[in-house]
Amino acid sequence: MAADALTMRGRRARPRVRLMPHLTGWGFVGPATLVIVGLSIFPAVWALILSLRDDNLLAPGSFVGLQNYRDLLDDPDLRAATLHTLLYSVLYVPGSLIIGLPIALALNRPIRFRAFYRTCLFVPYVVSAAATGILANFILDPQFGIVNDLLAGAGIARQGFLQDPSQALLTLVVVSLWGSVGLPIVVYLAALQDIPRELLEAARVDGAGAFRVFRAVTLPQLRPATVFLVIWQTIDALQLFDLVYTTTKGQPLDSTTVIVFYLYQQAFQLFHAGYGAAVAYALFVVTLVVSGGALWYARRGEAPS
Amino acid sequence: MIRKLAIVLAIVPALGFATACGGQSGDDGGKVKVVWWHGQTEAEGQILKDLADEYNKSHPGVEVDPEVGTTNVDEMLQKVQAALAGGEPPDVAYMYGSWSSTLADTPKVVDLSSMVKDPAFGWDDFWPAAREAATVDGKVIGVPSVVDNLGLIYNKKLFDAAGMPYPTKDWTWDDFRTAAKRLTDPGKGVFGTSYVVTGDEDTVWRFWPMVWQQGGAILNSDGKTAAFASPQAVQSLDLWRAMAVDDKSVYLDQNGEKFLPLFYSGKVGMEMAGPWAMRDLADHNVDYGVVPLPGYGGNHQTISGPDNWVVFDNGSKRAQAAKDFLAWLTKPEQDARWSLGSGNLPIRQATSKLPAYKKFAEQFTGADAFLANQANAVQARPSIAGYPDISAKVGDAIDRALLGQETAQQALSGAAAEADKILAKG
Repeated sequence: MAADALTMRGRRARPRVRLMPHLTGWGFVGPATLVIVGLSIFPAVWALILSLRDDNLLAPGSFVGLQNYRDLLDDPDLRAATLHTLLYSVLYVPGSLIIGLPIALALNRPIRFRAFYRTCLFVPYVVSAAATGILANFILDPQFGIVNDLLAGAGIARQGFLQDPSQALLTLVVVSLWGSVGLPIVVYLAALQDIPRELLEAARVDGAGAFRVFRAVTLPQLRPATVFLVIWQTIDALQLFDLVYTTTKGQPLDSTTVIVFYLYQQAFQLFHAGYGAAVAYALFVVTLVVSGGALWYARRGEAPS
Repeated sequence: MIRKLAIVLAIVPALGFATACGGQSGDDGGKVKVVWWHGQTEAEGQILKDLADEYNKSHPGVEVDPEVGTTNVDEMLQKVQAALAGGEPPDVAYMYGSWSSTLADTPKVVDLSSMVKDPAFGWDDFWPAAREAATVDGKVIGVPSVVDNLGLIYNKKLFDAAGMPYPTKDWTWDDFRTAAKRLTDPGKGVFGTSYVVTGDEDTVWRFWPMVWQQGGAILNSDGKTAAFASPQAVQSLDLWRAMAVDDKSVYLDQNGEKFLPLFYSGKVGMEMAGPWAMRDLADHNVDYGVVPLPGYGGNHQTISGPDNWVVFDNGSKRAQAAKDFLAWLTKPEQDARWSLGSGNLPIRQATSKLPAYKKFAEQFTGADAFLANQANAVQARPSIAGYPDISAKVGDAIDRALLGQETAQQALSGAAAEADKILAKG
């Protein structure tokens, strides 16, 4: 785009040096283009080809057409992994917003040490998921973890947490929320500060109470931020991997095997790279549809106003 | 993650491109280069580097280049996958034995059968189970780099405190269960024993000895159907289920990284473990003993998980240099420095006759017991392409039983049905 615009202008003014603006333009976009083509588009195409093959990246392998995709439909383990991912997303996405918004509202008020609180809440987001996972492993250990010691001290039975098949996924949701609630907080904070003061004041002058102001003015004004967060957090949830890898490795009893972890296992532990690539592509399409759908829904809702 | 996967996938062809541009490397000033990905760090890596330096000095035509490849051998095959796709694999790499069938299907893996047939190589001097594990359909995919076996290590202090006699080499699995139950003390957080429930091969290989001890097998002799759901195997799994669920004497280790540290700190009385634990045991000053695994009817078979040095084809000149180097590396004198120096059992029987071994056995309690236990390692896991898939199903089955979700019968029958499906696919 930039290159085109330059060309147009250059053509009108000095037709003879047409090549130069071209080169300048490409000079600017070239490195980035190379990176995108090399690190995104090329591997994406390569993975697409891989997903049509029965291949382990070691032996020659063979072209199998859509067989990998047909196998996807009849794979009970993948179905289970999909359910786990869905359950995780359904809890994680609204959870992060519901927790993030009140904290953002609180931090938006003139309280003492506000900057300090803000930093504290954002630090876990900056910490890598690997560190979060290892930390969670330690403090949530059923026998020797500090959380269970505290529970025992309070007279509550010790819990299995990440080692109990019925609790592990829920525990992961809690750990992820702890690790990532910083993002909704920061986004909501920014959005809150963008709300025109006149609107809030006008509402108050009209006799609205604090709750009414929040519902009728603040919340609608936060809508774009919410849409962004829903899409962002959904993509994040669908691609959950690192936390699982560093905590449960999909266990106990595969109860935390989510889609991306499943495809990793297929591709790199069970040597079905072609099948793993097919799972990755299916997930990509689902992610695209979900984000597109969310965007479309949000736009449609905006139209009347 | 998709982004990360994409980057991994991007590096693969990018490497290919780089090598295509770079042309054939490896002839370095007339010297034949042998790139050696050994996966060892710290002291172990230093031993191998010293050995390479020594070899280079005495063999002027060759340049052995020791590189770590990856600091975690779990990822070695992935690394080599990428390097192979790029057309520039290492000449020699450290590979887990469980990858052998996959490696056998890899065209770039050099068949070493002609090398080991040479009487000067001394193949018969290597442990039988290790030789069997390195051979897939007549193809020798590597030579042993590390051998081990599972034995029973026990904490003497915990046995003394409970006023119980130490385990013996004649123990039955029922003796084992009784002792585990008596050692368990919830008040002090002490477990009788532990089991790894990662659901992967680490879970599965601990179970096979019990099947073999009763004359059972993993697959039927035609290799087309699963044989591990036999009544005897079910009874063995049920013993573990009863220990874990009813007696609560088993610490179930979710990620396979905690059970040994817990043993070192006196929280677990007995562990199924291998000689690799001896160094840490010495470091932690644990007062321990080693006996063979408990048995059935006097049969105390164990399992050996030998790892291999695998040669990749980078042209016949480099392959030959790599073979020559491995022949030298696995001679008893070098074996003593590498295996014993890194706290492992010798990969050759002749090494155990050297004075270096005597010193090693004095330094590490239980070395003799583990060495003697090699004689109990007589069977290997099937070297078939479907084994990793079958292992995953069996691992899930064992986990379900130990966590009390299914009976041993349900779990193993279900896994056998899945295994039959995998085997039918071929």
